[in-house]
Amino acid sequence: MPELTYSRVNRDILRTLETPGRAYWIAVALLAAGVALGGYCWGTQIQTGMGVSGKFIPTAWFAYITTFVFWVGIAHSGTLISAILFLFRARWRTPVYRSAEAMTVFAVMTAGLFPLIHLGRAWQFYWLLPYPNERQLWPNFRSPLLWDVFAVTTYFTVSAMFLYLGLIPDIAAARDRATGWRRRLYRLASLGWRGTDTEWTHYSSAYMFFAAFATPLVVSVHSVVSWDFTMSIVPGWHSTIFAPYFVAGAIHSGLAMVITLLIPLRRLFRLEQFLETLHFEQLARLMIVTGLIVGYAYGVEFFVAWYSGNPFELSTFLDRAFGPHGDLFWAMVVFNCGLPLLFFAPRLRRNYAVLLTVSVLVNVGMWLERFVIIAVSLTNDYLPAIWRKTFHFTWVEAGILFGSLCWFLLLFFLFAKIFPTVSITEVKEALPEPKRTVTVEGNA
Amino acid sequence: MNDAFNRREFLKLVTIASTGTLAACSPAPPQKVIPYVIPPEDVVPGLSYWFKTTCRECPAGCGMMARTREGRVVKVEGNPEHPINRGALCARGQAALQGLYNPDRIAGPLRRTPEGRLEPITWEQAEDALVALFRFLRQERRNATVALLTERISGATEKFFRDLFAVFPAGQVIQYEPFAYEALRAGNRIAFGTSEIPHYDIAAARMLVSFGADFLETWLSNVECARAFADARRRHERDAMRFVAVEPRLSLTAANADAWLPARPGSEAALALALVYEILRSGRARLSSTEAARIGQLVANFDAETAERLTDVPAETIRALAREFATADPGLALGPGVAASGPAATALQVAVNLLNYVCGNVNRTVQFGRGSNWDRVATHAEMLEFIERMRAGRVDVLFFHHANPVYALPPTAGFARALQRVRLKVSFSPFLDETTAQCDLILPDHTPLERWEEYQPRAGIRALVQPTMAGGFHFQSRQAADVLLRVVRRADATLSRPFPFENFRAYLENEWRAVHRAVAPEQSFAEFWRSAVEAGGIWREVPLRPVRLSDAVFRFDFSPALAVHTERDESFALLVFPTAERFDGRGANRPWLQETPDAMTKIVWSAWAELHPETARRYGVSEGDLLKVSSPHGEIQLPAHLTPTVRLDTVAIPLGQGHTSFGRWAADCGPTPLALLSADVEATSGGLLYGGTRVRIARLPVRRLLARTQLETSQHEREIARVVPLAELVAGSVRRDPEPRLSLYPEHTHDGHRWGMAIDLDACIGCNACVVACSIENNVPWVGALQVDRGRHMTWMRIDRYWEPAPEAQPIGGVTPLETHFLPMLCQHCDHAPCESVCPVYATYHNHEGLNVQVYNRCVGTRYCSNNCPYKVRRFHWFDDQWPWPLALGLNPDVTARTKGVMGKCTFCVQRIRAAKDQAKDENRTVRDGEIIPACAQTCPADAIVFGDLNDPNSRVRQLSDSPRGYHVLGELNTRPAITYLKKIRRSVPDRHPGEDG
Repeated sequence: MPELTYSRVNRDILRTLETPGRAYWIAVALLAAGVALGGYCWGTQIQTGMGVSGKFIPTAWFAYITTFVFWVGIAHSGTLISAILFLFRARWRTPVYRSAEAMTVFAVMTAGLFPLIHLGRAWQFYWLLPYPNERQLWPNFRSPLLWDVFAVTTYFTVSAMFLYLGLIPDIAAARDRATGWRRRLYRLASLGWRGTDTEWTHYSSAYMFFAAFATPLVVSVHSVVSWDFTMSIVPGWHSTIFAPYFVAGAIHSGLAMVITLLIPLRRLFRLEQFLETLHFEQLARLMIVTGLIVGYAYGVEFFVAWYSGNPFELSTFLDRAFGPHGDLFWAMVVFNCGLPLLFFAPRLRRNYAVLLTVSVLVNVGMWLERFVIIAVSLTNDYLPAIWRKTFHFTWVEAGILFGSLCWFLLLFFLFAKIFPTVSITEVKEALPEPKRTVTVEGNA
Repeated sequence: MNDAFNRREFLKLVTIASTGTLAACSPAPPQKVIPYVIPPEDVVPGLSYWFKTTCRECPAGCGMMARTREGRVVKVEGNPEHPINRGALCARGQAALQGLYNPDRIAGPLRRTPEGRLEPITWEQAEDALVALFRFLRQERRNATVALLTERISGATEKFFRDLFAVFPAGQVIQYEPFAYEALRAGNRIAFGTSEIPHYDIAAARMLVSFGADFLETWLSNVECARAFADARRRHERDAMRFVAVEPRLSLTAANADAWLPARPGSEAALALALVYEILRSGRARLSSTEAARIGQLVANFDAETAERLTDVPAETIRALAREFATADPGLALGPGVAASGPAATALQVAVNLLNYVCGNVNRTVQFGRGSNWDRVATHAEMLEFIERMRAGRVDVLFFHHANPVYALPPTAGFARALQRVRLKVSFSPFLDETTAQCDLILPDHTPLERWEEYQPRAGIRALVQPTMAGGFHFQSRQAADVLLRVVRRADATLSRPFPFENFRAYLENEWRAVHRAVAPEQSFAEFWRSAVEAGGIWREVPLRPVRLSDAVFRFDFSPALAVHTERDESFALLVFPTAERFDGRGANRPWLQETPDAMTKIVWSAWAELHPETARRYGVSEGDLLKVSSPHGEIQLPAHLTPTVRLDTVAIPLGQGHTSFGRWAADCGPTPLALLSADVEATSGGLLYGGTRVRIARLPVRRLLARTQLETSQHEREIARVVPLAELVAGSVRRDPEPRLSLYPEHTHDGHRWGMAIDLDACIGCNACVVACSIENNVPWVGALQVDRGRHMTWMRIDRYWEPAPEAQPIGGVTPLETHFLPMLCQHCDHAPCESVCPVYATYHNHEGLNVQVYNRCVGTRYCSNNCPYKVRRFHWFDDQWPWPLALGLNPDVTARTKGVMGKCTFCVQRIRAAKDQAKDENRTVRDGEIIPACAQTCPADAIVFGDLNDPNSRVRQLSDSPRGYHVLGELNTRPAITYLKKIRRSVPDRHPGEDG
């Protein structure tokens, strides 16, 4: 980035925060309408009962839990990019990590909705929390669902703090240029950041600490989510490979989502200078790795089902591949394992259209993966008498899923106009130091 | 002679008579649950009171007890002391409660306006109209024909109606039952000179052969038969009973047989005669040689080869069966049920009688003198005669008393059309059924749970029906007999002498004075009456009345037995069959009967046509396709159900649906096959020809919802329902299957009680009685066909049914005989319950007595427990339950009704455990074994379910649980269920070894 200077960085990045145009408002309005639709559907479900969704016995978990796992998965690559790559000093992460981190937080916020939407009595959700009460009623600490509550809330707290910490110097930079409500907001949010050496020292060590703290969470949270399934005795769920398999899958889907979000963002906010093809190439390479891990996991599951000699397990896996929902399984294999292999070809991984298409399809494939594991496994468990393999996807479910996507995008859109989506601080770190004689706009 | 007046005249009469008292409306019924200001001394809130009565859901007449709370019936159960059912009830009996509280009951008397509408009137108006009518008929139109068409009645009730209708110069009472067993009556008359339907001692038989008698479902007295069958099956030693079922479709009864012989429809008589032939030929008959020779001559045409040609059953099998049956001491052959009532039905019954006779079973297992008398029930031929009279305008006034012939007779009989020629039609039905909907005056009677009646199901039993709660609680119904008594006295003062009674109860009591004098003159009458009402009637052992073979049998023409359709063509035999749940259709408006899955097909809320998959392939039909089934007499459209349990040349359609006017739940459930039947009668007996019709089928390009609670029929070699051969059991070589005993957590200690259950799969007949009993006891809601199809049925108990090809069995007529496994599935109350550890809020946990407890209040509805339950017995409340008023009045107040969003499941009837423990505590003792009986076990006719304390080494449940036949379903998962299943016993089937005299 030879022609970039500190002032240019400030100007270019903070420009993205300027008063938005008409297109932005239309987009926000549409997304808000989508969220409202989702809210209406959820209201209908609460009013009428869970029967308005497509669930039944034996498939008592269906689209909501699938989507929950999907969003938790999306959340993971954000931390991977921001924390793990930070620790490994992967310089190419700099321009993308802020978006990835924001995506993490919003994905967790979206994911967190689904266990509530999924509850038969959503209004009693707080019973899942261990709060002191006079009846001494505590939640069941043996239940993986409770571990889930802890894992997801911990992950949300840490990733939100990590995002915020990294934002502080940038907010301060924005504060110095802003007026009106933005100035008041930034002043409050920058916590009085002045950019002194002591502050920078503390900032650096805190950032390092959070990076180190968040890194194991990437592994642990999705492992815990996978235990929702492995701790059960449902054939197709009860498997020791799930933790690494889910973590790899989470990163796989997270990378795909980062690419899916960044390509339009790059165009929209004219960030071509910061987000170069190289960055996308690195992400694509990482996707090849995670895709191969996921493919390996698929294979191992089948091998173990056969090798264990467990007839229930084998029946479930045969049903998964060749049963009435085999098409979903094969779609998932092609999308998640097949398509990322295209990125072995440099021409393809540098082509934004290919990148975007493959990423979107990987996202679809990862949703299908969770659906196949969760819903399809349940249709074929121990007693054949209760097998029931027809799904009825309802409009309420579709509305809630669509609403949740809108919710996620809306949060991202609002964030992108309020906070810098590319880290000013870290971009500057990568630049040669300016000469002292040059007047610097802003003091960050 | 009838031109003197017409229908208009009658209507005018009814209208004018009632306008006079228009203002005098009856007061609103008291609404208070219990008036506490002056509390009644005999009702303590919170305590249950039991009233013994008699089930009137079918003519079998089982003893029933109604449990009432705060003046309302909340549950009915079998009367344990009653000789017929000994405490059990079938699904239909259990659902009687939904007849009582059915929201589609007629609210009060109705009258047809001149415009043809039905308008509500008061009871005063209604009675005034009847009084006017009675006066008119007795004084002005003495030649008018007045008839009462009633269900089967007996004892004092019958006498009452007979006497009452005798006040009209041309009055008559006709008893009508859709299943009137004409062939049994005629066959017995021909063979033994009596039309009595004998008592069949199934329990004593060592070999049972049923020729289309669905005795575990509807035949004669299904609960009684099931009880006896279970008793016989419990003999596991060398005198074990073997059972062979001959019928073209695997009915629930045949599914319980050791061998199912899918003979051609209508060929059963040939098979029975061939058995007689072979037994006589082999010299095994227990007869004098002269008699043997005479009978031999009679059956000379029916050698095993002829029978093979007619029935498809190999001659070898017939000979083996003959050998086995002849050596069984005693054996028992049972004659035709409804499905086998074709043109050869009487021939079949005569053949069955001969078969029993030559083997010496008559007067042993076939007991005349102890049976039931159906003489006064009209045969179908008599009904047709009556219809002819109606059509000719020779019936002026027709009263209906719990009979619905417009629905239950085939349309070809022309009842509905003939009814229009009847000048005045009066119905006492509590429901607006098809017949009542055509009536001019409707005076809703009480349901059997609100009225007085006497019923004599069979010789020696005088059962009482008594009100178990006050009538008129929501519907302004009045007992028909009470109304008639009042009317007849008001109509004519001279009739006060023969009918001096205030109400029917007084009449009944008076009638029983004679009974008292005959039975227990040493007691005071008050004492006798009280004890009879408390016991639900009186019964005594009746002596056998031995019969001898009548000479008429030697003149009997067996040619209908030879007239079997054996050609292969494009026509199918139509098999019309009743089912255990739906009977003749009189329970179709009970939602729980509609939602109870058919025992074999697991279909709910619909009629269906059964096709063999191979037939279906030939016609390009798949499951749920709409079929057009047409006979020369009519045509119906209904969805196809593909099943390997029916012959390739047969289409089987159940009775019981096709109501056009019987309430919301009876509507839109598919057609009735009656529309396909001919108007002919069976020549000898005058019976309705349920069988013998040929039909054609065509696929229509439409699919229909055919909701089933179970879709998969095979257990995929998972050994869920297990079997043990009888030989191994007798040899004592049966050992328990090993199970893991691993645990990370400390074991539950279960101090005090540890509740458990044992379910004997060899006893279970799959009849669904437990399913309905459980649902009624535990306020389980029904959800309708669409939700069942979506997998949201709510039953806490279900009967899983699996089919496997029967080992070593050869296909007969292209059909592979199947071995059926019924597996009652309910919460297993596991020690290591997979559901408990995954619940995040402890809504389900293991209590110290071994119950897996579900706390509805704590449940947030994650449904993880259901996913993790390998038995899938947990039921999630997808919606708020619907209890249309007044059905909610019948809810069990001891069981929490669940809200939407929570999980429910079997509790082992924890409310009953609680009640028994409270009782024991009050009496300062521990709970006795057998004191707690969950609803399912209570009603099981086969006594297959035993509940009790596993900690008590002497308890029945503990002893059964320790049986070598015991195993745990999915025990290999280390769930350690509290329910032990006892393996089904595979009895060697007679036709497997080649005969030594073949």
